[in-house]
Amino acid sequence: MTGLVLKNVTKSFKEGDSTVDALKNVSLSVNPGEFIAIIGPSGSGKSTLLSIAGALLQPSKGEVLVNDTNIGQMKEKELSSFRLTDIGFILQTSNLIPYLNVLDQLLLVCKMKGKVTAKEVKFAKALLKDLGLGQKLSKFPNELSGGERQRVAIARAFVNNSNVILADEPTASLDSNRAFEVVKQIRYEVKERNKAAVMVTHDERMLEFCDKVYRMEDGVLTLER
Amino acid sequence: MFLAIKEMKHSKTRFAMIGAIIMLIAWLVFILSGLGNGLSTLAAATMKNIDGDLFIYEEGSEGTMMKTKVSGAIADDIEGKYGVKEAAKFGQSTIIVHNPKITDSKVNEDVAFLGIEPGKFIEPKVIEGKQLSNDNLFGVVIDESLADKGYSIGDKFEVTSSDITLEVVGITKGETFNHLPTVFVNVETWQSYAFAAPGSDNGLESPVAMIALQGENVDADAIASNYDAIETVTKSDAIMGMPGYKEESATIYMMLAFLFAISAVIIAVFFYVFILQKTQQFGVMKAIGASDRFIKNSIISQVFVLSLGSIIAGIGLTYLTALVFPEGMPFNLDFKMVLIYAVVLLIVSVLGSVISARQVTKIDPLTAIGRVE
Repeated sequence: MTGLVLKNVTKSFKEGDSTVDALKNVSLSVNPGEFIAIIGPSGSGKSTLLSIAGALLQPSKGEVLVNDTNIGQMKEKELSSFRLTDIGFILQTSNLIPYLNVLDQLLLVCKMKGKVTAKEVKFAKALLKDLGLGQKLSKFPNELSGGERQRVAIARAFVNNSNVILADEPTASLDSNRAFEVVKQIRYEVKERNKAAVMVTHDERMLEFCDKVYRMEDGVLTLER
Repeated sequence: MFLAIKEMKHSKTRFAMIGAIIMLIAWLVFILSGLGNGLSTLAAATMKNIDGDLFIYEEGSEGTMMKTKVSGAIADDIEGKYGVKEAAKFGQSTIIVHNPKITDSKVNEDVAFLGIEPGKFIEPKVIEGKQLSNDNLFGVVIDESLADKGYSIGDKFEVTSSDITLEVVGITKGETFNHLPTVFVNVETWQSYAFAAPGSDNGLESPVAMIALQGENVDADAIASNYDAIETVTKSDAIMGMPGYKEESATIYMMLAFLFAISAVIIAVFFYVFILQKTQQFGVMKAIGASDRFIKNSIISQVFVLSLGSIIAGIGLTYLTALVFPEGMPFNLDFKMVLIYAVVLLIVSVLGSVISARQVTKIDPLTAIGRVE
């Protein structure tokens, strides 16, 4: 199956002499078109889970399958090109590149792969228009509102047309109205484009937009709803 | 390139300031090289102009112009042997001349008095007047720099502490020797001046300072073993043997070498700090999937574009300053040399950035995740 599958994933970190398990035997599967949320207090292992699902970290034990590809055995270089083509990260607003305008933020991703084609430019523009940024293509991040910036981050995650979308606290530093708006837009794009999406958040108001909600506590993942 | 150009367009002031520093370094490099070139011209222009393949000096002189004395008879004998096509005698002395026409405070001039054979390959071309001839033994060709001091064709001037009177017949240019303007004269006249004192010729037949040889495949070993009391030196060694030449160029090259090293360090440190400031950005790019190479290329291409622009501006600035330098300053810009130094500077700055770009590998893409502000 396509989508994202984690099987019995354990991640241990060395801390001085002892080892700490940040994730304990975590299993999770997300189908295309599904939008799930992971909540939990800080330090519970949410970010570690997201990093492993996003090919930023390797699990100590267990398997991670993205589109049926096991990323557990990949080398650093393969991982970075895998992230480029198969994973879309929605990062926090502060993670836009300050000297690139809205359109260039998206084209940068295409640039990393090689030459930017006319088709990619068209797709990027359509994506931005879809997210209500059609008039802001040549604005720089400091000229945008917080909500607009987050929408640029969403567009950037979709521009490589990957099957898996991972969102890291997309509503942090946004007020309620804007936060709802942003999450609704993620949901819309996920459903529209049939992606498997995971959102890490500690904002419980956003959960009504998600198909499933998992809770993470001390490295253990449980289905809540 | 994409990121590099966009960033420079966005933060103009920051890059303009770094560019200005690179430009000033380039400026200093070019000014120094111009001065070095000017000094070496002053010291050895005549020697550099002699199109000789091999030079005969006195044995033990180690190519030093001030120590050598050889027999001129060798020159007459050697032509056509050992691959030598043409052999030319050369003699030099430093003399003080007095031109009665000039009446201002500085009536006496130090000049290099050079004895050559008219018609041989080492004779410089005149830009005005006539070449030397065997008919007029006291006719001389002077360098432009002496003409600038008031000497002109037809002037008769005296050599102090002797009874010789010389007449200017021609003017040449770009001929300075031992930091002095040159006066070219028939070698026989020079010999009668230089060896006026009995016994000062060391018993040599027709003594001269050195003999310049021209020809393809001149056999240096055969020459050295077939004539007594001589050694052969190459042209570059002969130039090194000019008084002050080695010391002056060593000083200038030392300064240039330090400048290159310092500019490499400055540029490396600048970009090191830049990269530190942008760790977060690069972490995000790596999380999205940028390879280390993509980021390094963007850093290095940025330094390349910036340095190229700044160095070109530095060249422009150098030529502008050359216009306002006082007359008589030994400043001589050779465009080929400027180009070489520009390329070296460019390579050095790009190398500096390559060194600091290496730390990109250490940036962890994880910095982009789980950072709530």
